[in-house]
Amino acid sequence: MTQEVKTRPLNRLKSMYALRAEVDKMYQVGGEAKAKGRPVAWVMLEGWANPILNAMDVITVYPENYSSLCAAQKLAGPFLERAETEGYPTHLCGYARACVGYSARMVELDGQIPPEAPAGGMPRPNLLISSAEVCDARFKWFQSLGRYFDAPVWTLESPSPNARESLTPGTYERNTQFLINEIRQFVVFLEKLLGKKMEWDKLDFTSDGTNEINRLRWEINQLRKARPCPMHTRDFWSVMSAALYRGAADPTVIVDGNQKMYDEVKYRVDHGIAAINRPEKYRMSFEGLAPWHSLSFLDDLADRGWNFVCESAYSPGRPVVIDLSKVSDPIERYVRKRYRSLASAIEIEFGPEEAPKVKEEIMREGTSYRLRLKHIRDYQCDGVVLHVLLSCRAASSGLSLFSDQLLDVYKVPSLIIEGDIIDTSLFNPVESLKKAEAFEDTMDHYKKVRKNLGFEW
Amino acid sequence: MVIATKKGLARVQELYQDRPQRVKELKAEGKKIIGYLCIYPVTEMMTALDIVPYRVLGDMRESITKADAYLPPVVCPFLRSCLDQGLKGKYDFLDGMVTSHICDVGSSLSGIWHYTVKTPFHYNIDTPHTVHETALNQTKGVMKAFQKALEDFAGKKITNAKLKKAIILHNEQRALVREAYELKKQDPPLISGAETLKTIKVIQSIPVAEGNALLRDIISEVKTRKNKPAKKNARLLVWGSILDDTPLIEMIESLDANVVMDDTCVGSRPFFDDVKITPDPIDGLAQHYLVDIKCPRTFRARDFYAAKKNYMEDLKTRFSYLSDYAREWKANGVILQSVRYCDTHGYEVPQVRDYLREIDLPGIYLEHDYTVGALAPLKTRVQGFLEIIG
Repeated sequence: MTQEVKTRPLNRLKSMYALRAEVDKMYQVGGEAKAKGRPVAWVMLEGWANPILNAMDVITVYPENYSSLCAAQKLAGPFLERAETEGYPTHLCGYARACVGYSARMVELDGQIPPEAPAGGMPRPNLLISSAEVCDARFKWFQSLGRYFDAPVWTLESPSPNARESLTPGTYERNTQFLINEIRQFVVFLEKLLGKKMEWDKLDFTSDGTNEINRLRWEINQLRKARPCPMHTRDFWSVMSAALYRGAADPTVIVDGNQKMYDEVKYRVDHGIAAINRPEKYRMSFEGLAPWHSLSFLDDLADRGWNFVCESAYSPGRPVVIDLSKVSDPIERYVRKRYRSLASAIEIEFGPEEAPKVKEEIMREGTSYRLRLKHIRDYQCDGVVLHVLLSCRAASSGLSLFSDQLLDVYKVPSLIIEGDIIDTSLFNPVESLKKAEAFEDTMDHYKKVRKNLGFEW
Repeated sequence: MVIATKKGLARVQELYQDRPQRVKELKAEGKKIIGYLCIYPVTEMMTALDIVPYRVLGDMRESITKADAYLPPVVCPFLRSCLDQGLKGKYDFLDGMVTSHICDVGSSLSGIWHYTVKTPFHYNIDTPHTVHETALNQTKGVMKAFQKALEDFAGKKITNAKLKKAIILHNEQRALVREAYELKKQDPPLISGAETLKTIKVIQSIPVAEGNALLRDIISEVKTRKNKPAKKNARLLVWGSILDDTPLIEMIESLDANVVMDDTCVGSRPFFDDVKITPDPIDGLAQHYLVDIKCPRTFRARDFYAAKKNYMEDLKTRFSYLSDYAREWKANGVILQSVRYCDTHGYEVPQVRDYLREIDLPGIYLEHDYTVGALAPLKTRVQGFLEIIG
C-alpha cells in the first residue's frame, strides 16, 4: 500500500527567511553594542523615531517585537505572571505586561539579561522612546518602566485626528507643523543627551531607506491581489518585523531583501503559484493583531483551503510622491515624505469619481464604509477573521462595526475569534477550528449571495 | 420659563433621578444642548454661544443590550454604557456631541456614536498626549478649529469678550466646587461623598449659571443642616477612573468611613484649577485642558530633558497633589479604583501605589465592572482595609 505524502499547507516564500533573520540579528547587535558602551534605546515601532535614532548612532531594539518573539516561542508566560505580581492589571496590553515582567527580572539581576530570555534578550536601555502613535499603551507602558530603569523617557507626539476632522481645512497643515516641531524638539533632546550633533545627511540615508522599504512592501502587497494569492499573511507577518522593527540594521540590506521578495512574489503571480499548497477555496483577511503564540492555527486553516491574502495591521500605505527639492529644512523634508493627508490618500486611492463620495460620507457619518472596507473589495475576500483581543482596546474596539458594515455592504461574513497577542491561555485553538469549519457554510452561502447580486467576486 | 420648586440638596436629588429634566425644559424653550464626553471638551465655548453643555454619562444600573453590536465586551464598560444609552434614545434631546481623544476607546466611540446615534452636530477634539511645548501649541490650534466648527453650527461668532465672560462664569463654578469641598475638611464632613458625587453630576447637567446658584444654595444649606454625615474612624481619599453613580461610594460610606476627598472626573478633577484669564483666551484654555487637568491619559514627567530619570522625583511631580489632598482633608487611607479595561488608569495604579507607600499613606486597589451587582465582594475587601488602617 502506498501512503500519500501530504505537503505542508503553506507554501512559504524563500526570500522571507533572510529578512526574518535580520530581526533576530537586532537583538544580537543590541547586546554587542551595549557591551561596547554604545547607547541602546528601547523604541516603539519604526515610526518617526527610529531613523532619527539610527542617524544619531543609537542602537534600537523593540520591546513590542520582543514580546511577540517570547510569545511565539511560548516563553512569555513567566514574564506575564511577573507583571501581575508587580501590580499591573491583567487586561493591559500583553506586549507591555511581558516587557514589564522582563524589566522587573532584569532589575532583580542587577541589570543583566534574564537567562531565560530567548534570542539573547534585550540589553538594558539607556533611553526609552515611547510614542503617542496608534494606542495609549505605547506611552503609558514606557512611563511605567520608570519603576525599573533610570533611563529618560521621551514620548514622541503624533496627531491622531478622526476621519472627519482630518478632512477639515487646515488640519493637515497644522498636524504637519506639529510633527515637524515635535521632531525638532526630539532632536534637541537627543543632542543634549548624547552630547553630539545630528548629522543630517545620515538622517536622509536612514529615512530614505525606510521609505524605500515601505515602497517595496506596498508593491509586494499589490501583487497579493492576484488569484491565487501568492503570499500568505504568515509570510507578511514574518517579514513585517524587518521593516517595522529593523533596529539599526543597514536599510540597504532590508531593501535588498524586500526586492528579492518582490521578485519571488512576482514570479509566483506570473506562474500562478499560490501561497498555500491546497486549492484556494477562500480568500481571507485577518483583522486585528496576530496570535503570535499560535500562528500554526493559520496553517490548519490553510489546510482547508483558506488563503489569508490581506490583513488590517502593519500594512504600508501607498508611497508619497512629492517634490521636496525646494524644502531646505531636513526635518520638514523628513515629515512631508511620509505624512500624507487623508484627503490626498482618498483622491489617489479612489480616483476622481469615487473620492468625492468617500469624503462626503465621512463628513456626513464620521466614517466611510468605502474607505474602511476597501482592502476587502480590492483583494476580493470571501471572509474575514476578527481577532478580538482581551488585552488590546485599540485593535478590538472598531471590529464589531467593521463586521456589520462588511456584511451589509459587500455581503462578506466575519468569524469572531477571541484570543490574545501574547497570552496563550486566552486562545482555544480546538474550539476556534470548529468555529472555522462551521463558518465555511456561511462563506459558501454569501458567495452565492454576492453572485446573485452581481458582485465582482 | 419653568421655575424649580426645590432647592439645594433636594433639587440635586430631583435632578439626579431625572438628569435631563432641566435641559429638556430649556430645549423646549429653544436652547441648544450639546453633549460632551469626558472632561476634555472645551465647554466654555459652548457657554459663550449660549449653548448648554451636558455631560454624557452611562448608567451602571441598566444592562448593556444595544452597544454590544458595536463595542465588544473587552472594552471599557462605562463607554459601552454611554453608547448603549445613546442607542436607546436616552440622548435624543442633544443637538450635538463633542468628544476628544481621551483614550483609545473614547476616540473609537466618537466615530461609532457619530455613525450610529447620529446626533446632528459632531466633533472630536484631537487632544495631544504630552505637555510638551509643541503639544501646547498644537492644542491651541486644535481648539481654534473646534471653535470654528462650533461657530458654524451655531451660526454666530464667539468674540474674545464672550469667551472671557464664559471662562469667568466657569471659573466661578470651579471656585464654588472648591468651596463645597472645603466643607469636607471638617470632621465629620458637612457633605458626604455620595452627596458630593450627585452634586457634581447634576451641575454638569444644567447651565453653568444655574449650577452656580445651586452650589451656593447647597453650601449654605449644609453649613446649617442637622442631619449631616456621622463621624467615622476612616477619612478616605478616592482616586481613579470615572465614577458617575453613587453605589461604590455609598458602599464605602455604609461602613466606618467617610469619603472626604476624591481625584476622579465626576469629582474634583475638572474643578481644582481655574482657567487663567489671558489676552487670547485660547492660551488659558489650552493650558488648562492640556496641562492643568490631571488625568492619566496625559503623559507627564518631572523634566523631559533630564539625562537621568529619578523615579521618586518623577512620582512627586505627578502625584504630589494627592499628598496635599490627604494632608488638607486629613485622609488616612486611599481607595484606588478603576473600571475594568481602563488602560490609562490601569498603568497608573502601581505607580500611584509606589507614591502612596513613599508618603506612608495606606491604599487599596479595587477594580469593578461598572455594575451595581459586583460590589458585594468589594465590600469585604474595603472592610478589611478599614480594619488595617484602624
